[in-house]
Amino acid sequence: MRIAETDEAHSLRGPIDRPALLTICGIIEREEPLATPALDDYLNPTVVEVTLDDGLCSAESARIDIQWTTHADYKFHYTDSEGVNFRWGKHPHDGDYIHVSGLEHYHPPPDATSDPNDVEESCIKQSPEALVTRAVLKLWRVAYHADSYAPLNAASNPP
Amino acid sequence: MSNRIPPDEFEDINEAVGEEWESETTPYERIRHVIAHTYTPASADTVAEDARTSPKTARRHLNTLAEEGFVITTTGNHGGTVYRRSPESLVVEQAADILEHVSTDELVTRVAEMRDQLNDYRDEYGVDSPEELTIEQANQTLTEPTSEQSEIDAETIRDWQTTRRNLAFANAALSIANAERFVDGDLHSTDGSVPA
Repeated sequence: MRIAETDEAHSLRGPIDRPALLTICGIIEREEPLATPALDDYLNPTVVEVTLDDGLCSAESARIDIQWTTHADYKFHYTDSEGVNFRWGKHPHDGDYIHVSGLEHYHPPPDATSDPNDVEESCIKQSPEALVTRAVLKLWRVAYHADSYAPLNAASNPP
Repeated sequence: MSNRIPPDEFEDINEAVGEEWESETTPYERIRHVIAHTYTPASADTVAEDARTSPKTARRHLNTLAEEGFVITTTGNHGGTVYRRSPESLVVEQAADILEHVSTDELVTRVAEMRDQLNDYRDEYGVDSPEELTIEQANQTLTEPTSEQSEIDAETIRDWQTTRRNLAFANAALSIANAERFVDGDLHSTDGSVPA
């Protein structure tokens, strides 16, 4: 029962927001030449599927799945051909993620763990979808050039 | 743009993307972006902060957007004006996007499919709306604490709400397409009902 309760408390609030998904598609098309966004269903979309021409580290291909709700809760979930997963999220977690003070959090690689001890505070603190989307693309690109997963939740890109 | 250009250095990701956004957009564009998907009323100060502009600038542009019908204003709990996206303007915008990308025939088919899906939810769960399902689920958790359905239901509730909302947009598009047919047809009607 405890597990079921936890999952319930961790849901995104509200329906998926088609208008926001369309906006996010537009931002990705403009900002990242290696990324191709598409809605899973144009009329009744539940997710933006972003195909990346290259994966991080040894992965040859990768994908980011994006959900965004009418309450501006979100998930940006990365998965690649090497089976590596991680996710930036914003939604209530009932205080279960002991290292996370607000709603924004990060499920680290390699398996995007939901273990309450391992979920980290997210370095992304902005709210508008323009800024969250740009931040995700920028962090991905830094990690891509560094050939490392480490920069994905590091706020800075030092020289 | 080359795929091999290394990303710029930055101290803080939030500042970095904020400054980029600021340099590529006007305050008006940023305020419009922020309020476009603000569905619960927000103060001009809150919008200003997200849009990286001053409250005074935000208020001025929000009032312009309200005059254009993009935004709705109400009086907040503390007596100040609060702003949110006009649902009417949102529906018209989504309908226009749908008509631009989807044929009327496909729209008719898909609207019927989505209606069927909503009926299936009603039949399967024996309630009329996802909100009722939420209440029922809460009651069930109280009376049957061993129930293992919670996780499934959270996703079902969201899918139900999402489909209902997207059907509303699709229905609006279909109505506009039908209305346009007759409004436009009046201009060159040849069916004999209009005297030559």
